[in-house]
Amino acid sequence: MTPDLSTLKPQRPSLYRLAADGHSLDFFFTHCPACQGLSFPANAPGCMHCGHPTEEAMQVVRPGGGTLLEYVTLHVALVPGMQAPSIAGDIRIAEQVVEEGVIAVDDESRLQPGMALRAVAVPLAATDTYGCQFVLAQETTR
Amino acid sequence: MSQWIDGNDGVYVVGIGMHPYQFPSDTPYTHLGLTAVRAALADAGLDWKQVQSAYVGTTSIGMAAGRVMFRHLGSTGLAVTQVENASASGSFAFRQACMEVSHGISDVVLAMGVDKHGDGRRAANKDGLERLSDTATVPAVKFALMARSYLRERGAGIEAMAKVAVKNHGNASLNPYAQFRKPRTLEQVLASPKVAGDLTVQQCCPRGEGAAAVLLVSGRALRRLNLDPRRCVRVRASTASSERDETVYGQGAIDLVRGTAQAALAQAGIAPTTLDLLELHDAFSVEELLYSEAVGVCAAGEGAAYLERGDSRIGGRCAINASGGLIGMGHPLGPTGIGQIAEITRQIRGEAEGRQHPNAHWGMAHMIGLGSVAIAHVLSAAHA
Repeated sequence: MTPDLSTLKPQRPSLYRLAADGHSLDFFFTHCPACQGLSFPANAPGCMHCGHPTEEAMQVVRPGGGTLLEYVTLHVALVPGMQAPSIAGDIRIAEQVVEEGVIAVDDESRLQPGMALRAVAVPLAATDTYGCQFVLAQETTR
Repeated sequence: MSQWIDGNDGVYVVGIGMHPYQFPSDTPYTHLGLTAVRAALADAGLDWKQVQSAYVGTTSIGMAAGRVMFRHLGSTGLAVTQVENASASGSFAFRQACMEVSHGISDVVLAMGVDKHGDGRRAANKDGLERLSDTATVPAVKFALMARSYLRERGAGIEAMAKVAVKNHGNASLNPYAQFRKPRTLEQVLASPKVAGDLTVQQCCPRGEGAAAVLLVSGRALRRLNLDPRRCVRVRASTASSERDETVYGQGAIDLVRGTAQAALAQAGIAPTTLDLLELHDAFSVEELLYSEAVGVCAAGEGAAYLERGDSRIGGRCAINASGGLIGMGHPLGPTGIGQIAEITRQIRGEAEGRQHPNAHWGMAHMIGLGSVAIAHVLSAAHA
C-alpha cells in the first residue's frame, strides 16, 4: 500500500517540501537581489553566482525537477547506507544550477541527456521521512 | 624576464627521499615520515641541523604532525608548518617551501608529505548545507560522470580509458616506491569489478599511506654548501588557482587544469611540447586523457590517440606518469604531490633505474585537490 506522504516529514527540509499533488516535490531557492540569479540550497550564506549575501534574499519555491545532463550507474555502495546498484545523475534544476540526484529508473538504458526529470517524494524505510528521487517527467504526468 | 621563483639565485631540489606507498597498516606515521626525510638528507648530503624550515603536507594524521615527528631528528628549533589541501596537500607544501627560499627567508627548506589512511572527512560535509544526493561530494561519482561524457562526446570505447590504467600499472611495476607492483593487461583492467559508471576498480587510485620528502636549497646556498649541481634540479615555475564558475557543463576541472598548467608554462618560458615528463592527477583513468590535452602536450581531442601511439609511454614524446601515477604508484594524499616532484627529479638526474625516460630535461608536476584547487610546478635540469 502506498503510504500517505503528507504524514511524513522531509528528510532534508532545507531543500524541498511536498507539492500540492501529494507526490511531487517543490524545491526552495533564493533569488539574488544583486544578480537576479537563483541559488540552491536556499540557506547557502552567499549567492552561488555573485557571492552577494543572501540574508535578505527572497526565497523562491519552484516545482522540483530539471534537465538530465549526465548519468551513471553506481555499482557499489560509495557511502554508508547507500543502495547499490543505483543511478546518479547531474541535473540542471535551474539556470546555472546543477545538482547531483538519485534517478529512480531500474535501467540506465532508459535515460538520455536532455530528458526532463521531475522530483518526487519517496518514503524512506524504517523512518517517518521521505527523500527525493528523480523520475522521467512524462511518467509522472500519465 | 625574471620571475619570483628565480629569487635568491633560484630554487633547487637537492635531495629526495621516499617511504614506499602501501596499503593501510599499523606502521606509525612517524616511521613513514622519518624514513623519507632521512633518505632525502642522505641523498642531498645535508645534515638535519642545516634545515631551517619544514612544510608538512598531510590530510589525516592530526594537529602538529611535523613537530611530533621531527623531534626524533633533533630539536633544532626550525620553523614547522603543516599544510592541508586535499590531494594537493604535498604540492602546496612544496610551493610554500619554494616561496620561502625564493624570497630569501631561508636557504635550506624541507617539503614533505606523510599520511595514514584516514576517515575521509571533508569540509564539504560540514558546511551546514544539505544536498539532494548522498554521493554529491564523492569524487568517484564526479569522475564517472566526466568519463561517461568523455566517451559519449568522443565516440570512444571504454578501452580508451582502460589503456591509461594499463600504461600506469606497467610503469608502477618498475617503481620500487609504488603501491601496486604488478603490470595489468587491458583484459584484466576491463574485467576488474565496476565501481561507478564505466570505471573499473583498476582504473581508480587506491587509498593507502606513505611518505615523500624533498630538500630545497637556494642557488646562493648551493654554492656555499658545495652541492653537486649535476644532481640538482631547478624549480622553474609554481602556479596555483581554484575553481571558477563552470560556464560549460563538465568543463570546470579541465579549465582549472588548463589555467594552472598554462600559467606555469608561461612562467617557465617553455611550450608544452618541451615537456619530457608530466606527472598528473590520474585518480581516475579518464583524467589523464583529458588533462594531457588541457596541459597541451597533445592537441585538443588527441589524448587517447597520444596514448595509443605510445607518445605518453616511457621513451615516448612525453612520459606521462612515469612513476605509475596515482592509479599505479598510489595516492596517499599528503605525500602524493611531493612524490611527483621526487619522480621528476629522479628522472631528470637520470637515476630512474628500470624506468628511465631518455633525455629527460623538463618536467611538470600537476595536481588538483577535490577538483576545486589546482597547482603546477615546472622543473628542469639545473642548466637547461
